[in-house]
Amino acid sequence: MEFLAFASFAVLVVAWLVAPSRGDIAVVSHAEDRKAA
Amino acid sequence: MPSTISAGDTAWLLLSAALVMLMTPALGFFYGGLVRRKNVLATIMHSFFILCLISVQWVLWGYTLAFGPDHGGIIGGLDWLTLKGVGQEPGPYAATVPHQAFMVFQMMFAVITPALITGAFAERKRFKAFVIFTLLWATFVYDPIAHWVWGGGWLGQLGALDFAGGTVVHITSGVSALVAALVLGRRVGYGREALEPHDATMTVLGASLLWFGWFGFNAGSAITAGGLAANAFVVTNTAAAMAALTWMTVSWLHKGAPSVLGAAAGAVAGLVAITPASGYVDVSASILIGLGAGIFCYTAIQLTKRLRVDDALDVFGVHGVGGAWGAIATGIFATVAVNGAAKDGLLAGNPGQLGIQAIAVSASILYSAVMTFVILKLIDVFVGLRVPESEEVLGLDASQHREAAYQI
Repeated sequence: MEFLAFASFAVLVVAWLVAPSRGDIAVVSHAEDRKAA
Repeated sequence: MPSTISAGDTAWLLLSAALVMLMTPALGFFYGGLVRRKNVLATIMHSFFILCLISVQWVLWGYTLAFGPDHGGIIGGLDWLTLKGVGQEPGPYAATVPHQAFMVFQMMFAVITPALITGAFAERKRFKAFVIFTLLWATFVYDPIAHWVWGGGWLGQLGALDFAGGTVVHITSGVSALVAALVLGRRVGYGREALEPHDATMTVLGASLLWFGWFGFNAGSAITAGGLAANAFVVTNTAAAMAALTWMTVSWLHKGAPSVLGAAAGAVAGLVAITPASGYVDVSASILIGLGAGIFCYTAIQLTKRLRVDDALDVFGVHGVGGAWGAIATGIFATVAVNGAAKDGLLAGNPGQLGIQAIAVSASILYSAVMTFVILKLIDVFVGLRVPESEEVLGLDASQHREAAYQI
């Protein structure tokens, strides 16, 4: 069971490494806010 | 005869009761942030009002129904009506604390359980209907099931393990929430307009306070201030963290961004799932329970949304599914190495425990679903469950309470 506990955490770490980054969308959103203001 | 009361145990149990008390207003904030701003006061009021209502119901008749001397494994007797006989000496459930301390600790569980359901019917339920529902539900659903599991009733006699309320609190409230969502129907605008949370920061604050209070919920359920409480504390924290990480990761992969609200909901799902197991499993098991909570509860919520069930604040997905997973997981991972007074689960060589847990889960689901349906239908006939559409559009803060949350 200890192995499964380590393995499940390792899977999460790998997922964070391959997960998409969406920072550009936040920048667009702020720009639109300023434009609206 | 010298008193057997332990100062340490009593202090821990009273402090735990206070921690669990905090969870109900914390739930109000958790839910309050998730609704639109026109309904935030009404949503917070649900939790705050239940804290008051059940505090009185419990001392008058709730405690004796749940924990009074057993009648046929079904319900407690009326011997302790208005707490007669519940005094400063230890009672039958805890040898080292005053009976009143045990009673008030249990009261806080009775308080938060119906409050959990309110997330399902948020933004559309008539306040009067909510009051009557809560009183009837506490009396005819919570009190009997608490007796079945913890008060010497038939599930406890069968050997069902539920350390802090996976079946009694979370399955009952989660299943009842699903029934309530189906009976009340969808909110006006559901599927046509965005019914977005109005304050995510309030929700994260609520989730954090829930997490804090949950240490009393689970570690306090050891009743004694010792190693078992410490184990429950550690596995509670671990499962909450693991479920938050898992939920956030799954939603990140699924929807492209690591959701803050997802992390908060995931933590609550982990806390729910570890609740029945917290006095029976070790830390490795708690990591797996948290992992399962994150995956199963997230998936359940996607399914309910796909089926267009308007469980407004995802009570069934988090509490119903999380509670069921926790109860089943207890039958898998329980070990007497953690709690010598309990029983082993499947992985420790006792597959029968898994069957007993399945019976407890099934009985809780069936009874709470049927009773909740009957109660709601009766209220609908005599009072009406929903506010009129015009009041729903206006918002419950104005239409039900004639107040506004924000002046800015």
